[in-house]
Amino acid sequence: MSLRQRVKDAITSASGTKTGAAAARAVLDPESAGMGKALVSARRVPKLDARVPEGDALTAWDRRRAEYRLVNPANRRKYTVIVVGTGLAGSGAAAALAELGYHVECFTFHDAPRRAHSVAAQGGINAARARKIDGDSLRRFITDTVKGGDFRGREADVARLAEESVRVIDHMQAIGAPFAREYGGQLATRSFGGVQVSRTYYTRGQTGQQLQVAAAQALLRQVHRGSVTLHTRTEMLDLIVADGRAQGIVTRDLRTGELGVHTGHAVVLATGGYGSVYFHSTLAMNSNATATWRAHRRGAYFATPSYVQFHPTALPVSSHWQSKTTLMSESLRNDGRIWVPKDPDEKRPPGDIPEAERDYYLERRYPAYGNLTPRDIASRAARTEIEAGRGVGPLKNSVYLDFRDAIERLGRDVIAERYGNLFEMYHDATGEDPYTVPMRIAPGAHFTMGGLWSDYDQMTSVDGLFVGGEAGNNYHGANRLGANSLLSACVDGWFTLPLSVPNYLAGVSREAPLAHDAPEAVEALDAVRGRIDRLMQNETGTRPATFHRRLGEILYRGCGVSRSDATLRTALTELAELKEEFWQDVHVAGSGDRLNQELERAGRVADFIELAELMVTDALDRTESCGAHFREEFATPEGEAQRNDDEWCFVSAWETTAEGRHIRHVEPLTFETVPLQTRDYR
Amino acid sequence: MAVVDAGKRSGAHQPGAGAAARPRPSTFVLKQVMAVTGVIFVGFVFVHMIGNLKVYFGAESLDSYATWLRRVGYPLIPHQGVLWALRVVLSVSLLAHMWAAITLWLRGRRARGPHRRRRPATFSARTASWMLPGGLAIAVFVVVHILDLTLGAGVAASGHQHADPDGTVHAYANLVASFSRPWMAVFYVVIMLVVAFHIEHGVRTLMQDFGATGRRLRKIWAVVGGALALAVVLGNALIPVLVLVGVIS
Amino acid sequence: MSTMRVEIEIWRQEGPEDRGAFETHVVEDATPEMSLLELLDRLNDQLAEQGIEPIAFESDCREGVCGACGVTVDDRPHGPVPNTPSCRQHLRAFGNISRLRIEPLRSAAFPVIRDLVVDRSAMDRVIEAGGTVDVAAGTAPDADDLLVGHDDAEVALDFAACIGCGACVAACPNGAAHLFAGAKLAHLALIPHGKMQRGERGHAVLNELDAEFGPCSTYGECVTVCPAGIPLEAVAAVHREGLRGLFRGRAD
Repeated sequence: MSLRQRVKDAITSASGTKTGAAAARAVLDPESAGMGKALVSARRVPKLDARVPEGDALTAWDRRRAEYRLVNPANRRKYTVIVVGTGLAGSGAAAALAELGYHVECFTFHDAPRRAHSVAAQGGINAARARKIDGDSLRRFITDTVKGGDFRGREADVARLAEESVRVIDHMQAIGAPFAREYGGQLATRSFGGVQVSRTYYTRGQTGQQLQVAAAQALLRQVHRGSVTLHTRTEMLDLIVADGRAQGIVTRDLRTGELGVHTGHAVVLATGGYGSVYFHSTLAMNSNATATWRAHRRGAYFATPSYVQFHPTALPVSSHWQSKTTLMSESLRNDGRIWVPKDPDEKRPPGDIPEAERDYYLERRYPAYGNLTPRDIASRAARTEIEAGRGVGPLKNSVYLDFRDAIERLGRDVIAERYGNLFEMYHDATGEDPYTVPMRIAPGAHFTMGGLWSDYDQMTSVDGLFVGGEAGNNYHGANRLGANSLLSACVDGWFTLPLSVPNYLAGVSREAPLAHDAPEAVEALDAVRGRIDRLMQNETGTRPATFHRRLGEILYRGCGVSRSDATLRTALTELAELKEEFWQDVHVAGSGDRLNQELERAGRVADFIELAELMVTDALDRTESCGAHFREEFATPEGEAQRNDDEWCFVSAWETTAEGRHIRHVEPLTFETVPLQTRDYR
Repeated sequence: MAVVDAGKRSGAHQPGAGAAARPRPSTFVLKQVMAVTGVIFVGFVFVHMIGNLKVYFGAESLDSYATWLRRVGYPLIPHQGVLWALRVVLSVSLLAHMWAAITLWLRGRRARGPHRRRRPATFSARTASWMLPGGLAIAVFVVVHILDLTLGAGVAASGHQHADPDGTVHAYANLVASFSRPWMAVFYVVIMLVVAFHIEHGVRTLMQDFGATGRRLRKIWAVVGGALALAVVLGNALIPVLVLVGVIS
Repeated sequence: MSTMRVEIEIWRQEGPEDRGAFETHVVEDATPEMSLLELLDRLNDQLAEQGIEPIAFESDCREGVCGACGVTVDDRPHGPVPNTPSCRQHLRAFGNISRLRIEPLRSAAFPVIRDLVVDRSAMDRVIEAGGTVDVAAGTAPDADDLLVGHDDAEVALDFAACIGCGACVAACPNGAAHLFAGAKLAHLALIPHGKMQRGERGHAVLNELDAEFGPCSTYGECVTVCPAGIPLEAVAAVHREGLRGLFRGRAD
């Protein structure tokens, strides 16, 4: 079979495949009309049902909560819930379910629950508390979030996010997060990109750290009480689905290499986003998509994988060995001004370039929001400048973020108080002093709005498999607003899953969970063992990390800040080549019966490559620009993203068949609280 | 690759794994024992130093002070009653302080494990690492000092005069006789330096052990500790030096 | 870009039961921009090319907040730059160093799992024992109704900044974890709900410290390596909470 043929097969007609699902699907037919274009109209087939409560989105959550079935407190301990991941969503869900009386088995590949990558969020957490008289309200929050997501998120879920945001702050404060306070003792807030009110609660530049540590503590409290069994350094490698329900997971103990089967009545995945598929990203070294991807391969639909947010204020790549594009908090854009020299051949140091020869392009193009435009717009604008040759720095791959004016206006001390730790981090990383030389920043892969598709109750297309936090998809549409990710993880973990998982459990038998020797468990275990053996079969070859690096390069080129039909098609071919080469040439040194970081990496990269194919497929399929998904062919004359609500106002939820073919299911989106409108930050 | 049952909790976080191995008495109690006895010693050394200052006012002053020490409280308290009470308190404190110190030192070594760090760099780390050897040196000195100037046995100077039957003490003469031996004078001076560092670090550790977290309090405390250490070394170590050079004779 | 030659004496240990030993390797093309961990990345690539199994070491966020990384460099936990985690130690700050000795964070409480990877779960057991606040989800009152002074919030944050890396323990000649435990106690003693359990928390944390870590002798080495800049007051906070609980004899 030719490579080209296989690429085509990757995105193929669903005819002849048996999905068995009542859910709707649109079908791609690459032969007749070219990939990504010819869709059988999404309207003529039954739609994917997100089970959103009928009627007013603002009261939907209240009504749904009243409908939820409950489990008698005495019966709760008879149910075992498996929670994978101990970030904000995972820790929260595990702790809250355990508080309610369920038995929880919680898994993390880290050595300690506190290390989950939620820890690295800097700027803050939004909440629609609307205490100030700056015009904020629940409705405003919903508008900002839905509009920020370019009308590709689910409105009712956003309304729930807004409603629960109020007590998230209360709860996180109570369990140990020391939020910044005003001198009067009240909680302090600040502004973030994409909004014009001040609703972001923070703890210096370490909000994620404080929330994460507080949540991990709450989890450990339940471990101490015996209601949670915590498995550290244990990685989920497969999902066990029996009788159409998620009933367990297969794990590998990273210390001993032992494979284990764990079964329960429901499984919650809170395993984070897949941004590290880009190799250079703002994510952690170990962040990976294996749990969600394996669940996907067991039947959980993957929603809009092409929606990837590039953070506009990441450090540029400046050398081969640089391991990541560290994030500089968005809050820097409150006082820093972004500019490039007007002359592409500018050679002078930034301080010597006169005002008239600088282009403050965000302030020029978006006077209303200026430097605080949403991330997708800021990233794209930076990309445009860099591609036009006006980038700065030795590799001309970054733009300036300049604090000169702010320091003149407010004084160095005020700036140091606001951003001291960030400036220090920048100085560490680059050796340059941002007090005197403008920072150099560039868009870096950051947050993935896509993730496992779930309904309003956060259940995926596999019964009993729930998803929370960045691993899911519901809230952020095609672009996430700053400080909404900590919020969505907290709301999912503490205030949604603890209600919706019991609703599911109430309909499930209280008998002991699936036996470890059930055929489905044995099959999953064998599959994991087979994959590991296959990864380890080559005696020599290339390190998994090298493939990861190449994967990232392919994606940045083909499916980055902006994409086009041509770049995506090239990427698809390159990915197929990479995948083939990976399996022929990947070499895992050492053995599998002990700590082996090469083996861990190899498995993750293998899954990343498959996921990347789906990302590119989705990007190619979606022939419109929306939020962070910017297709060059679909732009206004001013270069802004051109949405196509007539044809694309839906969530693409992908299924991948056992043979590796991708089938798109459609969840239509309706907007009533926030009417569809063109996003305009000018 | 063996398959493990979830029931075996492979990779499970072990709740309170070390609880069974908890040592008794607790480290916290031992630290408090060290702290309280340390306060007693600092108080004693300081008062002792004040008493020693009487040497600068001549033999009469020191001898009468020494004699008074044996008679204080009489007739309510028998002769040497207060002195013996102090001796008992100090001896018990000394034993408790040393026992706690050695126990803690052993625990520290065990907790550190076989791989030790070389070159602790800071002043604080140096003084801390001298606490145990310094403390042992001080213990040796206490024995020498008692033999030399209290009991007048063993290492005492050949001209040592025991107390008269009427209770009169020849402290001044004994002191001059002892410190006229250069080795004893040098030993005394060196030990006073050790005592000073021991006090300096001890007082800072006291502040930790007594839970002083206020930033201003901590600053004052550290300064007071340093001043006490300096006072003790100056007040005491000058005496043998002055004896050697002949100012006190 | 200028390159430099660095000779690396590095700890290799097959597993927890193995004795372990140093091995020497040379990286010819290190650059001043590299962080310590990027140097190890480079070394591992080179080892893989030579058919040698790469060195296992831990790292995750690589921006100094997750606390996963930490190796001992020339007897200093995290590396030569004070108060900076290994991931943020860049070679340019090392001066003219052409030789580095890299080994795991050392303490009896941190058994080596492999090479530079150690097991720091003892620290989590301290948190589990008492570093928590007993508030069930949904029951907290309005956080704006609980006034917390600006300065108290800032001091709480100074202590809450701890990233749980374990460098304080590895720096301590006694293997004590007082800086870590004290940071948590001091932090929770300053927030409204945390105050309710000060007594029992202090007691529980002291017990756990005793079980797994050594005593504090005020060496002060911990504060010279702590990447979060936790002050020595944290150690005093351990004893303050202990004494306070002892004299009050109550849960709060």
